[in-house]
Amino acid sequence: MKLTETKADQHGSIREIKGDAHFMNRVTSIGITEGAAFQTVRNDKKMPVLIYLRETLIALNREDAERIEVEIA
Amino acid sequence: MNTRIALLGQPNSGKSTVYNALTGARQHVGNWPGKTVEKNDGYYMHNGTRYTVTDLPGSYGLSGNSDEEIITAEFIRSGQADLVCILVDASQLERSMFMVAEFAALDKPAVLLLNMMDVVKTQKKEIDFKLLEKRLGIPVLPFTAADHKGYGELKGLFERELQDPHKLSSVPQTTVGVTGEAVLAQSQAKYDWIAQMLKDVTHADSPDYKLSRFDRLTTSPVLGKILCIVVVLAAFLVAMIVMMPFMTIGSMIPAVLNKPVSNLLNGWNVHPWLVSVFSMVIPNILYFTISMASFVFGVNLVFGFLEEIGFLARAAYQFDGVLSRLGLQGKAICPLLMGFGCTIGGACGTRIMDNWGQRMLAMAVVWAVPCGAIWGVIPVISSMFFGPAGTLLVCLLILVYMALMMWIVSLVFGRTLAPAETRSGMIMELPPYHKAHWKHIIREAFMKAWDIFKRALSTVTLVSLFFYAFSFSGSGSIEGSLLYRVGTAIEPVTRFFGLGWQTFMAFVSSAFAKEAVLGVLNAAFVGKSNLMEATFFAKTAVQDNAALAATMSQNISKPEALAFLFACTFNVPCVMALTTTFRESHSLKWTARVAAFYIGGALVLACIVFHISALFL
Repeated sequence: MKLTETKADQHGSIREIKGDAHFMNRVTSIGITEGAAFQTVRNDKKMPVLIYLRETLIALNREDAERIEVEIA
Repeated sequence: MNTRIALLGQPNSGKSTVYNALTGARQHVGNWPGKTVEKNDGYYMHNGTRYTVTDLPGSYGLSGNSDEEIITAEFIRSGQADLVCILVDASQLERSMFMVAEFAALDKPAVLLLNMMDVVKTQKKEIDFKLLEKRLGIPVLPFTAADHKGYGELKGLFERELQDPHKLSSVPQTTVGVTGEAVLAQSQAKYDWIAQMLKDVTHADSPDYKLSRFDRLTTSPVLGKILCIVVVLAAFLVAMIVMMPFMTIGSMIPAVLNKPVSNLLNGWNVHPWLVSVFSMVIPNILYFTISMASFVFGVNLVFGFLEEIGFLARAAYQFDGVLSRLGLQGKAICPLLMGFGCTIGGACGTRIMDNWGQRMLAMAVVWAVPCGAIWGVIPVISSMFFGPAGTLLVCLLILVYMALMMWIVSLVFGRTLAPAETRSGMIMELPPYHKAHWKHIIREAFMKAWDIFKRALSTVTLVSLFFYAFSFSGSGSIEGSLLYRVGTAIEPVTRFFGLGWQTFMAFVSSAFAKEAVLGVLNAAFVGKSNLMEATFFAKTAVQDNAALAATMSQNISKPEALAFLFACTFNVPCVMALTTTFRESHSLKWTARVAAFYIGGALVLACIVFHISALFL
């Protein structure tokens, strides 16, 4: 499922990231890589998705979060 | 001898804190050649040697996502620094070590600073930095940047490492390639390397994260936005309270010095021109500069606090969606809201923006926000012509045009200042709440204020003398001034824009101080007061608005009044705000460009408002 479809407090891991080199650089440099464990902290309509990953609270805008496939644990 | 140090780190790593603490006021701000990215250099003395420190632009990596990253990588690769000091956030060690992994490929001497050790202690985590040091092959120093006690040790470490440098002994093994997949593989390899380096060094928290009650509020879609606006406005109030004592003392200078100085000089039979320079213009320059500096102090104090505790990141998260339409980051909400109070506050509030282009664009947009002084002038003039209900409508129209103007400014300047490829969607971290280090915040705010005071004196002096020359009148009556002669001479032209010579003069003076508008109108219409005094004592003088209302409503038409209100509101901000923008942006070219746009825009706006409203009023 997509990261944008997760609910608050669900745990999971990143399965696949789709995008060009520029996008990859941006998301991976903040810690989002395939296989990384995460927890969705907040996912409200029209707001960036908040996830907790590598001990960091990260805000991701929805458009980018659409391109991240995750697996719920 | 090697004495050049560069500071490298991600946003929120505490890099600028270390930079400011090391160099103090010995800083120089310039631009990287050919780029709109700020270059910060400073130096400090240690054991009789001068060490230079370059504060590299903050970014999450070095792989060339932005101008900042390209410049940083190129600077390190070229060997312009003898030692690179990498800062990581020890409370988020794994993620923050990514910068070390990126740096590894550059193969240069380095030391590693594990910053935020105070936070690590409260998390009850332990870090075996000796083991990390052994694995990396470079010195690792646990550090708390906001605590000034640690800097002696840091300078000692720099001294030793510059003489006997170390490079990373272990580097991530990555493949080459520039496709999305290749980049992903490279990053995965880097995190694998980090995991190897950190094995048994520290343990990561269990991944169950609970938002604090306060954070649940700050991140909620509607309440969070309201809270952010309330906090920023409250912060502005606090800034005002902080600056008030300084401002009061400053405002007394012109009143206290005026009479004694003019009496003294008149007694010596000095030329009246010089008398007014010394008794009126110079005290006023001092007053303006002190006001500016105290504003900068107050704003930096409250924003320094909000940034350090981590609140600004929440505000950025809340408003990113709205502001990205203007090409601005979410953080710009703070300077924009401050702009309603004072444009100076707004302009120096843009310090929190990450890069120069964003900062300049935010300042240009902030100018469109009518400041507190303008909100003091609009109702007075508007009610003379349009009554209470009409005044409300005028204020509403001004707010609507403000939104339009912000959009126009972002269209005109956004393309260059924040090019489309740099406008990426928000991916940012919300740092955990930190305790504020007050000593550090106050020190930094004071440094900034002192800096503005020194630099602004010359600019304010220049502009004041210019206005002085225009408003000086030998006879004291308005007809003797240059402004009157120029104003009446070009009245046929200004009429086209809807402004007669009196309102045009007031329009010009609104660029000096918004409060001057009423005084100048008084001088022009009622004729009792001196034009020069009206301009230079604008902030302290008491106006007789009833007399002004009576004469003004007889002498100018409603469309002219409306055109004038719009022209003044959306003219360039006052001299002080203009100077602050110039000092904050370090770019005369851009300040002048934006100023020219606003002056032209205000005249065109006046023209449109005049001719359209003439059809109805």
